[in-house]
Amino acid sequence: MPGVINKKTLEHLAELARIELDPKEEEKLLKDLQKILDHFEELKNLDTEKIKPITEGISQKNAFRDDEESKNTNQGAGVDQFPESRDGFLKIPPVFGE
Amino acid sequence: MPPILHNFTIKSFHEGLLNKKFSALEVVQLFYKHIKDSDKNIGAYLSLNEDEAIKKAEETDLAIAKGENISFLAGAPLAIKDNILIKGLPATAGSKILENYTASYDAGVIKKLKEEKAVFLGKTNLDEFAMGSSTENSAFKITRNPHDPDRVPGGSSGGSAAAVAAHMALAALGSDTGGSIRQPAAFCGVVGLKPTYGAVSRSGLIAMASSLDQIGPITKTVEDAAVLFKAISGKDPLDATSAETDYGDEILHPDFERIKKLKVGIPKEYFAEKLQQETEAGVEEAIKKIKSLKIEFKEISLPHTKYALSTYYIIMPAEVSANLARFDGIRYSQISNLKSQVSNLQDIYLKQRGLGLGPEPKRRIILGTFVLSSGYYDAYYAKAQQVRTLIRKDFDEAWEKVDVILTPVTPTTAFKIGEKTSDPLSMYLSDIFTIPANLAGLPAISIPTSGAKYQASSNFSASSLPVGFQLIGQPFKESDILGLGQYYEKL
Repeated sequence: MPGVINKKTLEHLAELARIELDPKEEEKLLKDLQKILDHFEELKNLDTEKIKPITEGISQKNAFRDDEESKNTNQGAGVDQFPESRDGFLKIPPVFGE
Repeated sequence: MPPILHNFTIKSFHEGLLNKKFSALEVVQLFYKHIKDSDKNIGAYLSLNEDEAIKKAEETDLAIAKGENISFLAGAPLAIKDNILIKGLPATAGSKILENYTASYDAGVIKKLKEEKAVFLGKTNLDEFAMGSSTENSAFKITRNPHDPDRVPGGSSGGSAAAVAAHMALAALGSDTGGSIRQPAAFCGVVGLKPTYGAVSRSGLIAMASSLDQIGPITKTVEDAAVLFKAISGKDPLDATSAETDYGDEILHPDFERIKKLKVGIPKEYFAEKLQQETEAGVEEAIKKIKSLKIEFKEISLPHTKYALSTYYIIMPAEVSANLARFDGIRYSQISNLKSQVSNLQDIYLKQRGLGLGPEPKRRIILGTFVLSSGYYDAYYAKAQQVRTLIRKDFDEAWEKVDVILTPVTPTTAFKIGEKTSDPLSMYLSDIFTIPANLAGLPAISIPTSGAKYQASSNFSASSLPVGFQLIGQPFKESDILGLGQYYEKL
């Protein structure tokens, strides 16, 4: 099992996760994560060849609701706390830079 | 401490109200006085809700004075973990990134409790985003174990467990993803129930791992846990993973003749390693007591138990990395002073999350991002999902032989503050007995062994730390574990 996180990988992951890490944090994370990944090696010993993966918390069929307008939702909650908004939408700087 | 508080259970409080021994207002005021006197030494609460709580208590008193029927939980002073939303109150999830967030709606469970006219004393401390087993990961403060101030209360629902154990709330709500209700309950000598996945709505619970999270009660007695569980359970249209449940009267009034016929399984894998002596003694004592009821015990095997920790610490961080992506430092709460320095969106995210998220959330988000990333997904995440199936199958096969499974809750009693903070993996190992029930979606309860049962005494002996034992039940069979638990507590 490929189980190594090096500095370059970590920086890529941090960028994907949109988290800025300082050098000290990077150093500690590399150490901690490697130790954790080493622990995961034990899963290699398990034969899961024909095993179906579980993808949910509970075996449930499609949990549909009727296709009707509902007043009983929390839609719109929190808009009044947006730092800047327009027409109920959050206003943010341009996604693709200035 | 006013003598009245530590004798309270939900049941005795309700009876006292009906018999006019005291008013709801008096009791709520007593709790606040006790909180103001004691919480500086424990740190269970992050915020209090005094004005509103008093108002609600008075409403219950008015209803009683008018001769109206009141619900079982009317006026009951509860503590709520700070990752559960109560509209208008802070919901920090123990994190700086939500430091200034005011909940914009009520969680499903809160709506139900408001219908019951329960009273919310305040929001309790937790490990940041429910990530931790000691409450030391809170960005704001630590919480101390009421039994020994140098020790942790457990986590992540440490504040809720400590509040109940220290008589600063009648009962509390916590959340449990890998043991975060059961482990602090065991460390603090109180009862903690994690319901079957889907039994309780997750709407308004700040999500950690969506296929594992459940809200549940932390109480002084199993009887109280049953009352609170019945009140908060049920399908919620706002949680598509909540199940159509039909919990009848048996949750509140167990049929002990039926309970006596339950078969209890002892899984050898949970007792293979040498447990800490005090923990082993406590669990053995619980087994002995239950055997004295002539209940049949069987040794069983859950062969994939040892892989549960790795499975959990792959699946949970993966889900965490998705669930915490919404915390952008913009829409809920902002870390001030950054606006002038940073105007590029990417930089806002990087800096707000860099400053606002603590070390443990960062660790888990990065780990989760890794196991989901291209090239690693199959080896880690897909593999873990398959092992999860194997773990669930272990339980399915066990249920053909037994009805309930009995195990320790934790490998040790409460450890010292600071003892496990430098090595994340050693902290994760505290959860080895609790994690499997989350992976399999099963109901599980932590009950204090008799030696350390909730005592009607204000003297907490530092030399005798609480020990809990765990009962795991079949899906939606909370009646079995609550019933057996109530039977045990009557001994």
